[in-house]
Amino acid sequence: MSSTDSTAPVPGRPPGPARPAAAGPQTAHPPGASGAVPADRPGARTRRWARRRRLGACAALMGPFFVLLVAVFLVPVCAAVWLSFFSDDQPGLGFGPERTVFAGLRNFEAALTDPTFLSGLGTAALYCVVYIPLMVLCALALALLLDSGAVRLRRTAQLSLFLPHAVPGIIAAIIWLYLYTPGLSPVIDLLHHADVRVDFLGVRMVLPSIVNIAMWSNLGYNVVIFYAALQAVPREVTEAAVVDGAGPVRTALSVKVPLVRGSAVMVTMFTLIWSLQLFTEPMLLSQATPVVGSRYTPNMYIYDAAFTRNNYGLAAAASVVLLVVTIALSYGLSRWSNRTADTSEGDSGER
Amino acid sequence: MPGSRTRTRTRSTRTALTTALALAGLLLGTACTPGGATAESASGPVHLTFWSSLRGSQEVVDAFNRTHDDIHVDFEQVPSGQQGGYAKLSNAARAGNAPDVATIEYPQVPGFAIDGVARDLTPYMSKRLRAKLLPQALALTTFEGRTFSVPQDVEPMVFLYRRDLFAKYGIEVPRTWAEFEDAARAVKRKAKGKRIATFPTDGGHHLAGFAWQAGARWFDTRGGRWTVSMTDGPTRKVTAYWQRLIDEKLVFLNPVDTQAGTAQVGRSEVFGKLTGAWDAGGMMSSQPGQKGKWGVAPLPQWDPKHPRVGTHGGSTFAVTKDSAHPREAMEFIEWQVSSPAAWRARLSSGISSQYPAVPALLPVLRKAMDTRYFAGQDIYALFDREARHISRRWTWGPRMTATLKTVQDGLARAGDGEGTVLGAVEEGQRSTMPDLKSLGLDAREGSR
Repeated sequence: MSSTDSTAPVPGRPPGPARPAAAGPQTAHPPGASGAVPADRPGARTRRWARRRRLGACAALMGPFFVLLVAVFLVPVCAAVWLSFFSDDQPGLGFGPERTVFAGLRNFEAALTDPTFLSGLGTAALYCVVYIPLMVLCALALALLLDSGAVRLRRTAQLSLFLPHAVPGIIAAIIWLYLYTPGLSPVIDLLHHADVRVDFLGVRMVLPSIVNIAMWSNLGYNVVIFYAALQAVPREVTEAAVVDGAGPVRTALSVKVPLVRGSAVMVTMFTLIWSLQLFTEPMLLSQATPVVGSRYTPNMYIYDAAFTRNNYGLAAAASVVLLVVTIALSYGLSRWSNRTADTSEGDSGER
Repeated sequence: MPGSRTRTRTRSTRTALTTALALAGLLLGTACTPGGATAESASGPVHLTFWSSLRGSQEVVDAFNRTHDDIHVDFEQVPSGQQGGYAKLSNAARAGNAPDVATIEYPQVPGFAIDGVARDLTPYMSKRLRAKLLPQALALTTFEGRTFSVPQDVEPMVFLYRRDLFAKYGIEVPRTWAEFEDAARAVKRKAKGKRIATFPTDGGHHLAGFAWQAGARWFDTRGGRWTVSMTDGPTRKVTAYWQRLIDEKLVFLNPVDTQAGTAQVGRSEVFGKLTGAWDAGGMMSSQPGQKGKWGVAPLPQWDPKHPRVGTHGGSTFAVTKDSAHPREAMEFIEWQVSSPAAWRARLSSGISSQYPAVPALLPVLRKAMDTRYFAGQDIYALFDREARHISRRWTWGPRMTATLKTVQDGLARAGDGEGTVLGAVEEGQRSTMPDLKSLGLDAREGSR
């Protein structure tokens, strides 16, 4: 529980962002004292006018974002957190009347002791470990290739890489399901002729199969992000590297890659968040192969808890757990990337 | 969201309400509701909505409406439970617009009763109907002395077998599980590429039925609490048996409720099928070319001196909490399950070999059955014997769809060579416990 004294605002403090104002000419002004500025000074009045207009513009431009943030994110999150602490309690065998009661941490305990939820988290973790490095490396490699000019039909290549991203996830999954299904798939038939037998929907292969669908869908998008970042690398820098005798590979790895580090972190972060919410592809594959169970990923577990088991409290608790894991991993990633950024800067400074 | 789910109505007020409704119907007749409970009102008959995925339901409803002036049933065909029918029912109940009468299979009865979807029918059920129903069937829908749904059919497990194949290879039809294992070895040895049967990896219900027969008690309600023992002694006996047959490749290991599973039977790769009585009719429609080649034998026994069986399949009818006319709904249900006219109407829609929960109706079904498919065998006489052997120890659990699905997930992995039959049941239990606890039920794990 938050105690009020630690976060109590200074009473006279004006609303709105104090920083930009303080960063103006009167930097020596203590923020709490700005309310004490006499109102009749003409400079102060125009400044206040300007600030009010700036605030108005900010509100107009950012308002829709905050409205949506509150309506489609904060409210549902709060509802889920609230719901996760309650249960329609049915004591004994449960055939008596139902009461909605405060259940404390019971739903969380249930989710965290459920082997199917834990194995769902395990599946998501394994998926992240396989998918994220593969995605970041492939996207970066392709972007470098496009940037190096080695690819002749750059536009065509970019378009054909990006096009799958325009296909909705569910359609992508259906396309790939067709290619994975024995008896339907021309790919499996071809492999069969070459005496290669692969069960893409088998217990070992199904995760790589899902990774493949995701790669196909999202690779082009991330290539575009990296490519845009590479375009922003100053030409003099790469020219200097070439003058110093670096070949194209050396230039790419030692000069360009460090300069698009920020994009790499961003791509990793987005991919991570997307991966933890894996749902569409395995949900569709679960219709086709029994090795993808109804609780294969955390999101599928939540869906199953709510709509098969009618256990909304449990579903809410599992959602909150997934949210916390996602936030923790994202935060950890950004902390780690900041720290390594600092040390690498320090290294170059010493050199 | 929590607001819509606060069903804080206590049992006493609920009873009071229903009593009040019934009284209102009796006293006010036409005045308050369109068509009171008993009055022949000028404002027309009572309208009931009925959801079912059972074949022939439209014919049953039409026959009912033709012969009843005071009640009119509006039928809606819904997807089968696993295909979304149960989710539809739950959501409708949550929204307060569930149908008056819904179709629920036995394993899901406790779940819908606990969720307050299925109404306690004890006050509406006549003694006459109670006496007609097979006691084993009624016991599966009755908890703490209260009946939550009315059985329509109950399906003892049987062994459907290929007369021609057993004769051709000179193998006796097994009567015990030991004989079944020997026969399985003989089939594998003598008939290349064939097996005695398939152990279904999508067969959570099959496995439950086998455990039921062996005397297992996956869920026990004695003592006013749920005791979950899905790996009790009898279950371990059953899982060890099947694991041995699987390991020695004496049975196929694949899903059966799929096109591939049907094709396997069509190609005569299996000598038989362990399934519910209803599936004899299923075989007639899915494999018309094998007419005259099939026979029905009792399920192999562990102890032939004390024959026991479990069930596979079967449906019940429940009146939902949202129904404003529970009495009329019950009248419709009673007619549907116990009148010859209803069964004749249902059978008019196609082949069926269901075993009725009201055994007195057997002559009606026997008359409609074309036994030439089974080489003239009186299959209903056999069903009748087997139905009396249904073990009474069994109770389904509060979240059976989910429990059986996890068992099947484990069986599917076992089918791919990862894991065992016992492992699948253990997983089923481990994943069921947190669910029951978070529902606030008094649940604990039984001894192994």
